Amino acid sequence: MNPAKSPSSRRVVAICGGLVLSATACAQQSQSDSRYKIHDMARPQPSVVAPGTPSTQANVGTAPADAIVLFDGTDLSKWSDGSGDARWRLVDGVIESVPGGGYLTTREAFGDCQLHLEWMVPADLKPKGGAGANSGVYLMQQYEVQILRREDRPTYPDGMAGAIYGQHPPLAAPDLPKGEWNTFDILFTAPRFDEDGSLKTPAYCTVIFNGVVVQNHVEIFGRTAAGQPPTYAKHPDRMPISIQDHGDRVRFRNIWIRPMGE
Amino acid sequence: MSTPRLVVLSTLAAVGLVSSVAAAQQSQSDPRYKVHDMSRPQPPVVDPGTPSSQAKAGTAPADAVVLFDGTNLSKWRAGNGDAAWKVVDGVIEVAAGTGSLITRESFGDCQFHIEWMVPTSLEPDGQKGCNSGVFFMEMYEVQILHSNGNETYPDGMAGSLYGQYPPLVNACRPQGEWNTYDIIFTAPRFNDNGSVKTPAYCTVLFNGVVVQNHVEFFGRTAHMRPAAYSKHPDRLPISIQDHGDKLRFRNIWVRPLGQ
Repeated sequence: MNPAKSPSSRRVVAICGGLVLSATACAQQSQSDSRYKIHDMARPQPSVVAPGTPSTQANVGTAPADAIVLFDGTDLSKWSDGSGDARWRLVDGVIESVPGGGYLTTREAFGDCQLHLEWMVPADLKPKGGAGANSGVYLMQQYEVQILRREDRPTYPDGMAGAIYGQHPPLAAPDLPKGEWNTFDILFTAPRFDEDGSLKTPAYCTVIFNGVVVQNHVEIFGRTAAGQPPTYAKHPDRMPISIQDHGDRVRFRNIWIRPMGE
Repeated sequence: MSTPRLVVLSTLAAVGLVSSVAAAQQSQSDPRYKVHDMSRPQPPVVDPGTPSSQAKAGTAPADAVVLFDGTNLSKWRAGNGDAAWKVVDGVIEVAAGTGSLITRESFGDCQFHIEWMVPTSLEPDGQKGCNSGVFFMEMYEVQILHSNGNETYPDGMAGSLYGQYPPLVNACRPQGEWNTYDIIFTAPRFNDNGSVKTPAYCTVLFNGVVVQNHVEFFGRTAHMRPAAYSKHPDRLPISIQDHGDKLRFRNIWVRPLGQ
């Protein structure tokens, strides 16, 4: 995604439409990759990926064949606490956050990706203050998709589950009650920086929450920050993903990631 | 799409130590609200529904317009009257030669869910024998084709934006199994003089795998011709293509977005 490119490609399309240039010239401009013509058999075939199966409340689904499985119910070998071994617990084949155990952080680093994870707030959990059970997925350890199970009163919309925390409220609230599994399917596009550290293109995020679109390719305005405006600071192209320890017990299962493009 | 400029401005604002209130306004999706604003309207609560299995169709989110739930074709029509496609054992089957199946209602930006299957009785041969497609606004196509072990040009495979974008990967299931599409479609916007203000965009998850990530349509889908835009209404029907092949469909729903 190079937004800088979009206006010019639109202009070319408009010119093609208006001036009736040769079909060949137009066809090149109307392909996603200008090296190929329309219906080009010489174009590489996309790789074959056996898709997985969706989860139900009772049964965990399976990941697509090309995904990096970050958690399949067995162990936390793909995770750390940011420096050493992960300090969250395995309970009956699912991960449970340990208050004070630090963020659960992938050992591998990722940029653009499709990330799937499922989360649940245990039915017996009584969070302090009635505010709700809180966690979050931090893409590149800094861009947060909020995880929250509301208790008895509403919270600020840009802090609800499925929010880009402090920036974009979710379009809808499709969360399931305590004790039930929720799914996040996240498409994340990492920001790009120029050599001098300035922002070339911002990060973008699409979130499908229990099958319902709650963020549609929204622009992230910068690193997630509580109570202060987000800003960008140059960072590597790939960084770990972390899950927030906010002091509440939240459970996770079926976590996988598919690095994309680049 | 002026937001990238806003980000640069808010970054500059932070560098220049402008008041954090001004910067916070630039860093919200809606500048009428400040960060963590309790007066901002609460998003609607939506019962999300359940995913399908091969054996059983799932259920739609509570706020979806259900276009087909296994019972009848009342939400659909043909180009010239009532729908002629058939409902067989709770699923829709193409009635070849009767034309596209067209929604009676019109839609712009939306989330669209459909499940499709190429019965084992069909004989896929490239683009033949196994071909259909979802046309947003009756003109922007996400291709449907049996693409498991059936080679064709990449920009005409299942999950392609026909003639424009091959799918990122080929996630098609074997013949006789149900495939799912979850599509996020953003309609194009036109200026008064008919020129394109913003193009159409599309994201496609094919059996849960991303195969199009917010790509820009270059114009109306055309066969062997360059795509181009021409001004049209904000909302238009969604149609399913009759390409002469008896494909099957189930669990079709749409959620209008934004606008």
